[in-house]
Amino acid sequence: MLSLIAYTNTLSAAPGETIAVKVGSYGARTYRADLRRIIQGDRHPDAPGYKDEAIALDLGGERTARRQAIRAGSYVRIADRGGVLADIKSFTLAVPVLPTLIGETERTIFHLTGIDLEVLIDAEGRSCVKLGDARLTLAAPLAVKQWTLLILSFDKGELRLSALTRESEIITTGKTSATLRRNGPVGVMIAARAPGENHFDGKIDSPVLFSRALEPLETMARLALPQNLSRLPDLVAFWDFSRSIDGTEVIDASPHQLHGKTAQCPARAMTGWRWAGQCQDWRQIPELYSAIHFHADDMTDAEWQTDFEVTLPKSLKSGLYAIRLAPDGDEAQAYHCVFAVRPPRATPSGNTVCFLLPTASYLAYANHRLGLDVPGTEVGMGRLVEIDRHHAFLQEHPELGFSFYEVHGDGSGVFHSSRNRPVVDLQPGVKGFLGGLGSNVWQLTADTHITGWLEHQGVTYDVITDEDLHRDGLSLLRQYNVVLTGTHPEYHSLQMIDALQGFVDRGGRLMYLGGNGFYWRISFSDAHPGVIECRRSEAGIRPWEPGQGQFHHAFTGEYGGLWRRNGRPSTELAGLIMSSQGFDLSEPYELSAAATDSRADFIFDGIDRTPGRKFGAFGLSGGGAAGMEIDRADFGLGTPRNALILGSSKRHTDIYLMTPEDMLDPTPDMSGTQNDTIRADLVYFEKEGGGAVFSVGSIAWAGAMAWNSYDNEVARMTWNVLRRFDKKG
Amino acid sequence: MARYQIMADDVPFAREFMADPFGYRSPGLQRVLNVMRGLGPKGKYVILCTEPYRRWQLARLPARRGEPIEAVEGVDYDDLATAERDVFLRRWHDLGGPDLPLELLTMRR
Repeated sequence: MLSLIAYTNTLSAAPGETIAVKVGSYGARTYRADLRRIIQGDRHPDAPGYKDEAIALDLGGERTARRQAIRAGSYVRIADRGGVLADIKSFTLAVPVLPTLIGETERTIFHLTGIDLEVLIDAEGRSCVKLGDARLTLAAPLAVKQWTLLILSFDKGELRLSALTRESEIITTGKTSATLRRNGPVGVMIAARAPGENHFDGKIDSPVLFSRALEPLETMARLALPQNLSRLPDLVAFWDFSRSIDGTEVIDASPHQLHGKTAQCPARAMTGWRWAGQCQDWRQIPELYSAIHFHADDMTDAEWQTDFEVTLPKSLKSGLYAIRLAPDGDEAQAYHCVFAVRPPRATPSGNTVCFLLPTASYLAYANHRLGLDVPGTEVGMGRLVEIDRHHAFLQEHPELGFSFYEVHGDGSGVFHSSRNRPVVDLQPGVKGFLGGLGSNVWQLTADTHITGWLEHQGVTYDVITDEDLHRDGLSLLRQYNVVLTGTHPEYHSLQMIDALQGFVDRGGRLMYLGGNGFYWRISFSDAHPGVIECRRSEAGIRPWEPGQGQFHHAFTGEYGGLWRRNGRPSTELAGLIMSSQGFDLSEPYELSAAATDSRADFIFDGIDRTPGRKFGAFGLSGGGAAGMEIDRADFGLGTPRNALILGSSKRHTDIYLMTPEDMLDPTPDMSGTQNDTIRADLVYFEKEGGGAVFSVGSIAWAGAMAWNSYDNEVARMTWNVLRRFDKKG
Repeated sequence: MARYQIMADDVPFAREFMADPFGYRSPGLQRVLNVMRGLGPKGKYVILCTEPYRRWQLARLPARRGEPIEAVEGVDYDDLATAERDVFLRRWHDLGGPDLPLELLTMRR
């Protein structure tokens, strides 16, 4: 277990910039910090050996570790202005709700603080209102995953609550005596009583508040014409969730402008109570996307206080680094806050080789629970799930938030992931679930097979992150001859794809050293720093779907899902496309006749290129160079016609199955021992203008590079390509 | 929930698994393993890494997020193959599989 966890305010900083470190104790009393350069993080006995490097920089001495709370759960908070809410004497509140989880605890829908007015679902799932000491509970439990309109009114000491269907049928109604008294500052909380307290799971649609008691059916008639609400003299507030969908603002469409803010990134651009399939894109009829889906376990900002800051030396070279925090003098239990030192912003570093650290994919998998929540993970691994201390910690601390691979407590998909929180599996040496027989490492630690190899070869290189690429685009890449990817660069924004494509179209050379790359579309947003959004629409290997009518991202309006379905298949950039996955064994490639093509001479320098020979029958990730997640060339899907397919894996276990996007008409021959589609292809192609692409189509490739202390034919081939790609002309 | 139920015809697949807990599978063994490995999450067998790449302890997953993983005291393994064989036999028994020949049971350790 972990006695201390932490995060930084960024995953990328240039020399001379300052990083804020936020530390939380889970038992540790003290800690010491130092700065390390991470070189190779796999601790398997057959790996080249864990290697990092101390950076001579005084980060202060021993510090006291303190507990910092994490309050999961999204909500909206609204402050009163001009006493508009405080002056309420009589009122009607209308709130359409679609609960997705009821029972066990009270779940607050709307809380008017300072007046002690609270609309909630009680522990038995019944709608309920509290006003001061009065409590009114309707008899029938609310229906789960159905819209119910709750209409609450108060006048002359009488409190009434009615529940109606969206067809205006009254389901149940009740009344009681109550007294309205002010006892503190007035404000509104929606979807929670207070941050971290009584959170609501489900959709809430644009609450409306009037300054007099109205009959339920009159209220329904008003809600049917939301565009007219602002002209009604008795309108107090209309929090119209269909406005500013891409941001954190919650707009009050009444003349009072009692605007609010969302917290912890609830899902916006969600279909409201009036949506019945009229459109699929919230930008077309935004007023139908008038709901927000809140989750009690939304977590995109831990909001921890900064414990100390680190200013990076101006002379610090670019690379993969970590601020290491050793609790109570125990370095073996150290926590690593990993980040990239990117090249200086103003001037080129002079390096011509760039390693693109796939931080968007790290965030997509951040704190993932595949081995904890998903029984099928063991089926896909082909062996028992191994749990290391990081995952044992995650199991007990779901408040740290989830990855794109989880569902929320109510079963709906996780659309957002964030670096503004501790990500305990983003550390070197963490055991994976999906890394195959052998090291069983995933993402960051698997990628250190590449950084370790670069160091072993004496290459000077820069490290940039996906977020750097998204922000700076080709203007950042143009200083390089070669860009190397990580082992599983799966998640990309349009800006990232454009930058990489622009790079190779203009003479740049790309070494795609992974598998299942460039697969899912993500969005960044300036309104949500450090957060990415992903909606897994229609196809792809995915643990959830975003729900009908909700396939467009809220951050940007982009249609979510596979790049293959969005006009930018990975074949165009990398020559390959996702073919299959299995997390047990990897295989060698079998060399093809194309391996003897003169264009591939440099690739096979010093390597036996006899067609039919098995290449790469070893490795730390499943025992072969081709495995885990694998890509094939497919000329029908966009692989360039001049691509050389140098080799292909020829069989995989039956854990490897065809992807949903390929499996249009399922038949029982779509597994690894039977279907030729299920293969990794090793591809090289040249572009006009001097650009070139070398793609391995396998997550396991880097685990083979690191085999036998980097002394093997896979590492040799990678070196041949890098050496040639780094020469201009 | 898996439809398939382990029966007497599956004994040869138990023999296949005990001979090599990793690697390519016959379709029959794969079907048995799919039933076993799809169980859970409540009570699902996992192995805790007590010493990285050297020592593991049997454990069971809880039903819900936030609850601790329950270690099975006294059941430790020095290699992954032993863990696989042991858990296979436990699940075979738990799923009502027929009695296995003694030579398979003695391959547990």
